[in-house]
This record gives sequence, structure tokens and C-alpha cells, in this order.
Amino acid sequence: MFLAQLKNELWKLFGKKRTYIGFGAFILAQTAMLLAFKYTRWQSDFERLLGSNGYLASEFISALTVAVVMLMPQIILLMPLYTSLVGGDLVAKEYEDGTLRMILARPISRSRLLLVKWIAGVIFAAVLVVALGFIALGFARVLFPWKGMFFFAPGMAFSVLPAGEGLARFMLAHVFLAVNASVILSVAFMFSCFNMKPAAATILALSYMSVNVVLEGIPFFDRYEHWFITHHFRCWLYVFQNPIPWAQILQSEIVLIAACATAFVIGCTAFQVRDIKS
Amino acid sequence: MIRLRSLQKKFGARLAVEDLTLTVPAGEVFGLLGHNGAGKSTAIGMMLGQVWPTSGEVEICGHDVTRQRARALHKVGAIFETPAFYDYLSGWRNLEILSHYTAPTSPQRIREVVDWVGLSGREQSKVKTYSHGMRARLALAQALLPQPELLILDEPGSGLDPEGIAEMRQTIARLHREMGLTILLSSHLLTEVEQLCTRIAVLNQGRKVFEGQVNEVRAERSRVVLRTPDFAAATSLLRDKGLISGATEGRFILLREGISTAEVTRALVGAGMEVEGIWQHEQTLEDFYLSLVKAATVNGTTH
Repeated sequence: MFLAQLKNELWKLFGKKRTYIGFGAFILAQTAMLLAFKYTRWQSDFERLLGSNGYLASEFISALTVAVVMLMPQIILLMPLYTSLVGGDLVAKEYEDGTLRMILARPISRSRLLLVKWIAGVIFAAVLVVALGFIALGFARVLFPWKGMFFFAPGMAFSVLPAGEGLARFMLAHVFLAVNASVILSVAFMFSCFNMKPAAATILALSYMSVNVVLEGIPFFDRYEHWFITHHFRCWLYVFQNPIPWAQILQSEIVLIAACATAFVIGCTAFQVRDIKS
Repeated sequence: MIRLRSLQKKFGARLAVEDLTLTVPAGEVFGLLGHNGAGKSTAIGMMLGQVWPTSGEVEICGHDVTRQRARALHKVGAIFETPAFYDYLSGWRNLEILSHYTAPTSPQRIREVVDWVGLSGREQSKVKTYSHGMRARLALAQALLPQPELLILDEPGSGLDPEGIAEMRQTIARLHREMGLTILLSSHLLTEVEQLCTRIAVLNQGRKVFEGQVNEVRAERSRVVLRTPDFAAATSLLRDKGLISGATEGRFILLREGISTAEVTRALVGAGMEVEGIWQHEQTLEDFYLSLVKAATVNGTTH
């Protein structure tokens, strides 16, 4: 019964055109960035960076290297936007459309309904991240060769990886990216459970993330960085480090999973006490 | 089937439903009448566990809705004023989705219901292509899927054209006749309620101002119009003869039980009085409803 309800939630979610806006945006952004990398100074600047670190650009300007370079801005800009767009819709849109009242005329409990919706949302977040990874790597492979991976991110030590290990790390990074996306979705979902418009839930979730990013960037808050959810989003980048800082990753993942659970419980509580009226 | 005890709902300082006590026995078609904002939808919301009562108790099918919502609503179907669906999905998929919130539903059962409501052939079309009437049928189908014993209809005729309303009325009558369902019908379409319901309750500003049988209402409120040159003398004579229990407004007489208009006519003509006309004035439910609302408003104002 639970699985049937989950399947139905997925039908509802993936039956909507707006669910695919994110996928479309990723394809467009990916194409634009890839062409920009290939045909502007971006590539030559990157080659200089490799050279200054003693690596041959011809060996490390590869599909994997470019895929990660392409991913970074999209993870920061597009992924939060589209996950919070879907998360903000999950409950508030159904309330706005009147379908929530139809559902709650049935004997399903509110907490179960929310659980099914939240799981469907998390599945969407995971699918979005996987699609993002496939698109990034697939598109990069069209223009760049399959060779070793060079990884560099601001504030982190660079690392070089053979192609096979680079691919494995790339795939592992997406597990942590899926957790990040689930956290953003959960925050939007939480707001969606309150009595507000879907757009308001999306905007509040994005605002919450933005405030985290801004505060985390202020030097005064360096000592409080663990309190900012976005600080823990860096796990996916740690995966490319040598050696992988597992303890740090584990700590951050626990914080992120706890954040998901907290958002769900707050949303559930708010929804439980609400009156559902037309 | 439905039992409300001293039910009250406040939205902030506003009292939406006040001390509502109501019993709807199994097999009845019960009408909940009231103008917009009278508290009908709030009362229905509390029956379905969508709105939390401020105080009082709601029992459906013998179970407390607040504490045992799943059990209480297991055999309940509901249709709302504007049935909302996932327009981008097919009618069939909508039925599958909604029915699974109650219990696993077989495709055969969905097929049966689709046939019953007359949606066959269009069930695989997207709901956004449906007309108002088809949406109403789909709403009925989703309500019937859990094989309900109780059907709660909140303004089911709203948004339908006269033909659609007539069709909906026939369907409700058919549901009661063929399936023996208990039906709670909330409406401000008084003719609809008059034609379908056996009993009614009238809500005004959240308060119940009347509850009784529709037939009783008609009988109690039916009066006879008497047109005669001297109404006072005529009613005095009729009172003396024990034929009427009262006279009002200079033209209405209330006949005692078992007395016909023919007897009244004979008595008046026999006494040499002229009778210009005499006929039964059957007050419509609409007149009745408006008089109740007016009385309730006057009482509310004076108190």
C-alpha cells in the first residue's frame, strides 16, 4: 500500500511539465558552459593552471576534469533553484489546486501523506543530481578525451586522479550531491507545509540557503562555520581529495541528514495542526 | 451514521460553527442548507477530519473522527464544490491515485465505477480535456471507489449548467435507491434539497436554526388561502365550528387536522357568507428557509 502510494506520488510529480524545467535548464547551461570552455580563454587559463602545477594540460584536460568544472557553478546556482521549486510545490501546490482536500477526504493520515510526498521529493532530488552528472560527463565526453582527472576547487588542495578512479570518485560525489539536494528540497518542503503559496515556500528555502552562504562567507563567522548548512554541502568536493577525509564527510553527512529529518518533523507538525479548507 | 455533538469551530475570533448537534441515521438523505459562509463547509471539514474542532465531538460510522480518522473515513466518499484533479493526468490515473489513499483498488473495480458514472471511453483522456459535467462524473467516481456507506456531497451542483444539475440530482437519487447509501448533501440550491432529501438542517451564521423532516416542514408550514369579503367574520365562524386552529395575515387559515377545504367552504356558504376563493398555499422550502434565516437574523440582532 505504501509503495502504491509512493508510486502514485511519483506519477504526480513526474507527470508535471514543471518538474522537468530543471533538467532542461541543466542541458542548456551545460551546453553553453561547455562551448564557452572550449572556445574562450577559459580553457587556456585552465591549461596555465595545470602547467604552473607541473602537469601536462594535454593529459588532464579530459572529460572528467571538464565535467567537474562544469558542475560546480550549476551545483551552486541551478540545483538549489530547481530542488526548492519542486520541494515548495509538494504540499502548497496541492493545497492551492484543491487536490489536497480531495486526498484528505480519505482515511490516509497526514503524517503518512507527508512521508510519501517527502520520499517522492527525495527521489526527484536524486534523479536530478544523477541526470546532472550524466549530462555533465556525457556532454564533456563529446568534446574532450577520456583521460586522467585534475581536480581543483577554491580553498582546497588540488588533486590528480587516474581516469578509472576519477570516474569512481565522480560517481561517489553524486551520492553526496543527492544528500545536498535532499536537504534543500526538505527545507522547501517544510515551508510548503505551512499555510503559504508554493512560490513563497520556494523563495523562503532559497533565502535560507542564501543567508547561509552569505554568513558563511563573512570572516567573523569562520569559527561558527559548522552551524551553516551550506558549509556541510562541500562533502561532494572532499571526495576528490587525496586521501578522502572520511571523518569530516561523515560528520557533515550526519548534520545534513539531521537537517532533513528536522525539516520534515517541523513541516509535519505544522501540517498536522492546520485546518484544510477550500 | 453521522453524529455531531456540541461542535464548535473558531477561526481566530470568528465563530464559524456554534454548538452544532446533529444526527444522520443510516440510509437517510440529509440536507444541510445555508447560504455562503453559514458554516456548512466548515462542518463538513470537521466531519472529514480536515478541520479541527475547537470543541465538541464528531462521530462518523461509529468512530470518533479526531481520534480514529482512518477507521471513521474508511467507508466514506466525498465530493466538493469544485472537484480538483491532476489535470495533466488521465481520468483513470486520477482514480487510481485517489483510491489508493483509502485501500488497494483493483482495475476491475475502477472499470465498474467508470462504467457506472458513464465515463467509459474517456477515462484515458487527460482531465484537462474534460467538460464540467465529466469532471463532476469523475468526482462521483472517485467518491464511489471505496464502496462507501456514506457519501458527503458539498455543493455538488456548483458550477454545473441546469442540465448538469438535473443529471446530478438524478444520480444522487439513483445512488440512494440502488446502493442504499446514506447521503449528506450540503447545498444552497433549495430546490435540489427539497427534491432529494428526507430531512434537513438549516445553518445560519454557524448556528443550526432548524432540523426536521422535509415533509413535516411542508405540512407544518402549509396554510390555506381564504378569499372572502369579510375575513374576520369568516374566521370567527370557522373557529366557533372548530374547523381552524388559527388565522394570519388577513388571508391565511390553518386547518385543524382532518379538515378539508371543502368542509370549510360548505360551512361558510351554509352560513350565508361569500367565498371568492379557497386553496392550499404550500410554502416552498425556499420561503421556509428565508423565513428561518430572517427570524434568526432578527433574533441575533435583538439579542
